Amino acid sequence: MAPPSDTVPPPPRTPSAVPRARRPHPLLAPVRLLRRHAVVVAGTLALAYLLVPNLVVLVFSFNKPAGRFNYEWRTFSTDAWTDPCGVADMCGSLSLSLRIAVLATLGATVLGTLAAFALARYRFRAKGTANALIFLPMAMPEVVMAASLGTLFLNMRVAFGFTTILIAHVMFCLSFVIVAVKARVMSMDPRLEEAARDLYAGPVQTFLRVTLPLAAPGIAAGALLSFALSFDDFIITQFNAGPSTVTFPMFVWGAAQRGTPVQVNVIGTAMFVLAVAIVLVGQVTANHRRRSR
Amino acid sequence: MTIRLSGLAKEFGDFTAVHPLDLTIPEGSFFALLGASGCGKTTTLRMIAGLEEPTAGSVLLGDDDITALPPHRRPVNTVFQNYALFPHLDVHDNVAFGLRRRGIRSVRKQVDEMLELVELGGMARRRPRQLSGGQQQRVALARALINQPRVLLLDEPLGALDLKLRRQMQLELKRIQTEIGITFVHVTHDQEEAMTMADTVAVMRGGRVEQLAAPAELYENPRTAFVANFLGTSNLLTARVTAADADELRLDASGSPLRLPAARGNGVATDPGGQLLVGVRPEKITVTHGADADGVAAGRNRLDGRIRDASYLGVSTQYLVDTPACPAFAVYRQNTDPDPRLVPGADVVLHWDPAHTFGLDAAQDADAGTGEDAT
Repeated sequence: MAPPSDTVPPPPRTPSAVPRARRPHPLLAPVRLLRRHAVVVAGTLALAYLLVPNLVVLVFSFNKPAGRFNYEWRTFSTDAWTDPCGVADMCGSLSLSLRIAVLATLGATVLGTLAAFALARYRFRAKGTANALIFLPMAMPEVVMAASLGTLFLNMRVAFGFTTILIAHVMFCLSFVIVAVKARVMSMDPRLEEAARDLYAGPVQTFLRVTLPLAAPGIAAGALLSFALSFDDFIITQFNAGPSTVTFPMFVWGAAQRGTPVQVNVIGTAMFVLAVAIVLVGQVTANHRRRSR
Repeated sequence: MTIRLSGLAKEFGDFTAVHPLDLTIPEGSFFALLGASGCGKTTTLRMIAGLEEPTAGSVLLGDDDITALPPHRRPVNTVFQNYALFPHLDVHDNVAFGLRRRGIRSVRKQVDEMLELVELGGMARRRPRQLSGGQQQRVALARALINQPRVLLLDEPLGALDLKLRRQMQLELKRIQTEIGITFVHVTHDQEEAMTMADTVAVMRGGRVEQLAAPAELYENPRTAFVANFLGTSNLLTARVTAADADELRLDASGSPLRLPAARGNGVATDPGGQLLVGVRPEKITVTHGADADGVAAGRNRLDGRIRDASYLGVSTQYLVDTPACPAFAVYRQNTDPDPRLVPGADVVLHWDPAHTFGLDAAQDADAGTGEDAT
C-alpha cells in the first residue's frame, strides 16, 4: 500500500515544468489585499463594534447639553469633568458601589479560595453535587437568582440594605473565584509542596511560601472578576437593595428615567480608562519580565 | 548516619506497596534501591523522608525513632524525580529555601559555595525554567545538600536526563558523595546506574527485597532468577542433582554432567534426584569450535551445541547456541582473535569454570525479570 501522500516528497520539478505565474488583473488588487489581511480586517471591525459605545460615552462626557438629556451634541465643555460630584447622590452611590465591590471581592476571594482547595485536593461526600451547585449561579438567569434570593430575605424578614446586597454579591462572585482558583490548583505539582515540607517548612510556611505564591495568579484572576461583576451588577442588586441603598448602576438607571447628567459619562469614561490602564500596566510588566530573563 | 527500617510496611487500601521490610543502611554508604516501577522502592524512600506514613513498622535514624516526625523535622533531604524546583523562586532562593526556613538569615556565602560545588556559579538569578535538565538536576542537588542532611534521598534523580548526561552525572554524584561522606539512598530502575554508583544494592520486587548485596556479589552470585535476569543477562537451565558432597554438587542437565561449588548453590535442595536451576553469565563462557573439542581442559563444565545466530557487536560477538540442555544459550566472545569457523550452523563446545556457575531454586519462573528491565 502506498504511504500517505503527505509524507511523499513532491517530485523534483525541472524549471520548464513550473507553470508560469499568470499576471493578475490590476483591478483585482484591492480584493487580493483584502484577502491577505482578512483576519486583521475582521478583528478591527469587531474591536470597533465593541469600542464605539465607549467612544460615544467619552465624547459626550465633554458635552454641554441643552436640556436634561445628554443625547445631542451641543458644545464642548469640561464642566462635568471639573465637578464630577455635581449631581445629587451620584458620588454617594458610587462610593456605595465601590465599598460593596471591595467587600464582596474580599469575602468571595477568601471563601472561594478555601473552597477551591477543598474541591481540588480532597475527596469527600457530595463533592460532585458541590461542584454542580457552584456552576449553578453562573448558568442560571440572573433574574431567577435575584428573585429567589429576594424572596428568601423577605421570608426571613431580613431588612433589605447594604448587608443583603453584600450577601448576594458574595454568593454569585464565589462561583467565579472557585472556578478560577480550582483550575490553577489542579495544575499545580503536589511535589512542590512535598519539596517544601522536606526542606524544613512546616504546614503554615509551606502554604505561605509555596502554595499561595503558586496559586496567586488564579486567586488574582478570581478577585478581579469578582470586583468587576459586583461593581456593575444591576439585576441582583435591584432585587435585594433597600430604599436608601442605591448603587451606581441603580443610580444611572434611575437617572436615565429623568434625564442623564453628563457626570455619568465622566464616571463611565474614568472607569473604562482605569481598567484599560490596569491591563496595559500588567501587559507591559509581564513583557518586561519575560525579556529580562 | 545509619538508617534502620524495621518491619516497615505500607498498604494503599487493598494493595500492599511494601511488605514488612527490615533493612539497615550503614553510615556513609551509597545505597541503591533497585527495581522495576511499582516495586515499592519509591514508597520506601518516601517513608524515610516522612512524606508517606507507614502502615506498620518504624524508621530509625541512628538511635532516634523518627517514624512519627513530620518531614520538616527530619534531618534528611530529598532530590525529587523531575526535581520539583520552585518555579516562582530563582536558583539562589531555591537553594536558600531550607536554610531560611530554619531561621538562618545570611545565606549568600553558603549558597554561592554550594552553587560552585555543583558548578552553577553565575546562574543564581536564573529561574528554574531557564535552565537545562542537567542544570535543574544540579540545583535540586544543591538545594538538598546545603542543609547538610544526615541522609540524602535521591528519587530517580537522573531519570529525566539523556544517556550521556546521565553517565556524567553518575560520576559526579559519586564524587560528591565521597567528598562529603554522608549516606545516600538512591532509588532507580536502571541496573547499570545502581551498579556503577552504589556500595550496596537492594533489589526490590513486588514490595519485597529480593536480594541485598554489593554490586559484584549481586552480579556474580544472584540468589533468585529475577535478580539473575534483571541485572544483566543470565543463561538458566534446569538440572538434576546426581551426587553431592561438602564442596561440590554434581548435576545432570539433559545428559550433560555439570559441577556446581556447594557455596554457590544458594542453599537450594542438594539431595540426589532434586531439581535446581543452574545459571552462568554469557561472558564467562568460552566457545570452542567442535574440531578443537579435545583441547578443552578437563574439569570444566561443558555443553555441546550448534550456533544458531551470531551478532557482531564491535568489542565482542554475541552467539546464540542451541544445546540439548537449553535452547538459545547466550555467549559473548571478545573479538581479540576471531575464529572464522564460528558461524551459524557450526558445531561448538561451550565450556566454563565451574566456579562461575550458580544454583537457584527450581521452583521459580526462570524468565522472571527478563522483560522488566527498563534499560
